[in-house]
Amino acid sequence: MNTCAQTLVNPSALPAVASDSAPRRLPGDLAIWFFILAELLAFGAFFIAYAFARANNVELFNAQQLALDRNAGAINTMLLLTSSYLVVRAVQAAEAGQGRGAAKWIVGGFACGAGFIVVKLFEYAAKFAAGVSLSSSTFHMFYLILTFFHFMHVILGLVILAALWNGARKGRYGPGNMNGIETGAAYWHMVDLVWLILFPLVYVMR
Amino acid sequence: MQPQRSSALALHHSDHGTPLRATVIWVVLIAATIVTWSVGETGAAGPAIVGLLFSIAFGKGTMIILDYMALRRAPLMWPLLALGWMTLVCALIGIAYWKGLAA
Amino acid sequence: MKYSSQSVAMPYFIAAIGLFVGQIIFGLAMGLQYVVGDFLFPAIPFNIARMVHTNLLIVWLLFGFMGATYFLVPEEAETELYSPKLALVMFWVFLLAGAATILGYLLVPYATLAEMTGNNILATMGREFLEQPLLTKIGIVIVALAFLFNITMTMLKGRKTVISIVLLMGLWGLAIFFLFSFYNPGNLVKDKFYWWWVVHLWVEGVWELIMAAILAFVLIKVTGVDREVIEKWLYVIITLALVTGLIGTGHHYFWIGTPAYWQWLGSVFSALEPIPFFAMTVFAFNMVNRRRREHPNKAAVLWALGTGVMAFLGAGVWGFLHTLAPVNYYTHGSQITAAHGHMAFYGAYVLVVLTMISYAMPLLRGRAANDERAQVCEMWGFWLMTISMVFITLFLTAAGILQVWLQRVSSTPMPFMAVQEQISLFYWMRLWAGVVFAAGLVTYLASFFVKGESKPLIHA
Repeated sequence: MNTCAQTLVNPSALPAVASDSAPRRLPGDLAIWFFILAELLAFGAFFIAYAFARANNVELFNAQQLALDRNAGAINTMLLLTSSYLVVRAVQAAEAGQGRGAAKWIVGGFACGAGFIVVKLFEYAAKFAAGVSLSSSTFHMFYLILTFFHFMHVILGLVILAALWNGARKGRYGPGNMNGIETGAAYWHMVDLVWLILFPLVYVMR
Repeated sequence: MQPQRSSALALHHSDHGTPLRATVIWVVLIAATIVTWSVGETGAAGPAIVGLLFSIAFGKGTMIILDYMALRRAPLMWPLLALGWMTLVCALIGIAYWKGLAA
Repeated sequence: MKYSSQSVAMPYFIAAIGLFVGQIIFGLAMGLQYVVGDFLFPAIPFNIARMVHTNLLIVWLLFGFMGATYFLVPEEAETELYSPKLALVMFWVFLLAGAATILGYLLVPYATLAEMTGNNILATMGREFLEQPLLTKIGIVIVALAFLFNITMTMLKGRKTVISIVLLMGLWGLAIFFLFSFYNPGNLVKDKFYWWWVVHLWVEGVWELIMAAILAFVLIKVTGVDREVIEKWLYVIITLALVTGLIGTGHHYFWIGTPAYWQWLGSVFSALEPIPFFAMTVFAFNMVNRRRREHPNKAAVLWALGTGVMAFLGAGVWGFLHTLAPVNYYTHGSQITAAHGHMAFYGAYVLVVLTMISYAMPLLRGRAANDERAQVCEMWGFWLMTISMVFITLFLTAAGILQVWLQRVSSTPMPFMAVQEQISLFYWMRLWAGVVFAAGLVTYLASFFVKGESKPLIHA
């Protein structure tokens, strides 16, 4: 009981369920990790560009940021986090030898990702109706470029999840064959990771 | 004291943690998001608030990188690269924010 | 050579090298015109020499790409070429059209050439790199379609590998983006906007796919590394090349009248364009280090590694130097652009075509590799050309920095021609480096004629 309460408060106190003798291993394909690093660089460059452009235009950025839909942003954060969680469960299912069971988890992850797309489209529609465009202000330009660049990544991630679902349904993944599902999952978590910075940076920081 | 568990682990070692661990992390991530969102709703500003926001973001990112991406068990270079990226980005955002305050 | 129809690559390679020689001759003439302004005037003024120099480059690289494709695709598809006859007919059509166009540039005033070739029906001429008369442009489209038809049919009846699919994507992209050369709106901003869809999306987009595919093919052959490993790298490289290259077009949109957001999009994405080139460098060295066999053709391995390094330096590093909008504000259209252009084209595209020629030519001539002495001669050619190109780039960079300083940054800016006078020393040094390059080219040509015992043909 005691340890259980502790672990709930502090997740890092939970034992990482891996025997310490197991060699360190990069999950998924090496190629996807190079790709993820390149993606992180691209997003990082944009985040830093945003921050410094803001430093030269604090008042404009603060004023126009207030008009953003923070509720939509927060809901989307939760959708991506939940989706990531469900994909982790899918990977764990595959690792436990329930390759076909993974498919159900992936459907859930896909649904959350699709929910992100829907919320984002409503958000964009409202912004465009309000006259926001790439040329309407420096803040709007960054808002659109950053979120749209990320939006495209969500779409690509969904395509990858669909492929994983297809593979899982056919029972392709299991303890002996984790490469495919780990590769796709790593990409999907990256899409989540960059949003975790994007949301406070663009929607909240003032 | 988990003798039975570790003997089971010898048969099946995991790189992706347990469902319980993943679920606890998910709860923490959602709770942290609610904090960030409510800060936004109050319209609070200033270095302390921004420090809080990015500490939360950093903590969330660390959980994603180490646990969800499962880099905890990867060769050290990989978690360090990902965490280094996040540190650099957050630090530069902080510097830019500071520059904006001075201006 | 495994399939007899691969031999159609031979005339393409020979034509490519021949036109390369022509390009260098005009390059030397222009190098001299930089410092002796009336050299060859009025017979071949600078603007004509420049047009011939750049057009020859594009045409010989296209010959090289086609030759490389005719060699590569049958071997990858494991079947004979769909129609070797069509390939040979198209070779002569392309060569004659190219030769006629160059002669037109040299013998007839450009305005007359435009009138003679129907430019008043559909005006497409007069734009940098797209100077070709309408008839030539239509000819290029016909040749490209026949070529793509031939290659696509070959692939459809044979094995489809990642390498040949990537190559084909690049070639189709090349043909499709060329169609924008027919679109010439009256609005100068729009004109420039779409002009880059040919120029930039070729060299910083689809050509990179062609380059990566050719490099991957040669690396598989000379290192014996598993195809699976090479294919993974190929996926990463082409995705990075497309993502950075497509939006990176924005770095040409800074000062031509397009919306301001292009300064951000162009700066950020083009700043990432070195990444795929860096990946290619790592890829080439990684594969050679993990090689499973010692291929007798050492020269081909050297060309492949040279491609990896020089493409990253020329296209990656020298491109990055002046790609950020605040830097480009000062350096735009200066000698720094010329420095980048020279090393990028040499490092990426000249070297990848020569890599393929180096690998394929001995096979086409019935041996696995050339005699030791011929290879040494060829490697001398590589080093002379590569080192002198490094110096050409450095001298032009120095000239460019000085030019930007005196003409644009200084509080008392000097006029253009006065600045040119100031930097003429660097132009002289560039010219001498160019002479060494020409010597390297002659050495390279000589390597084809060095006789000796040939290595027996082994099937890779």
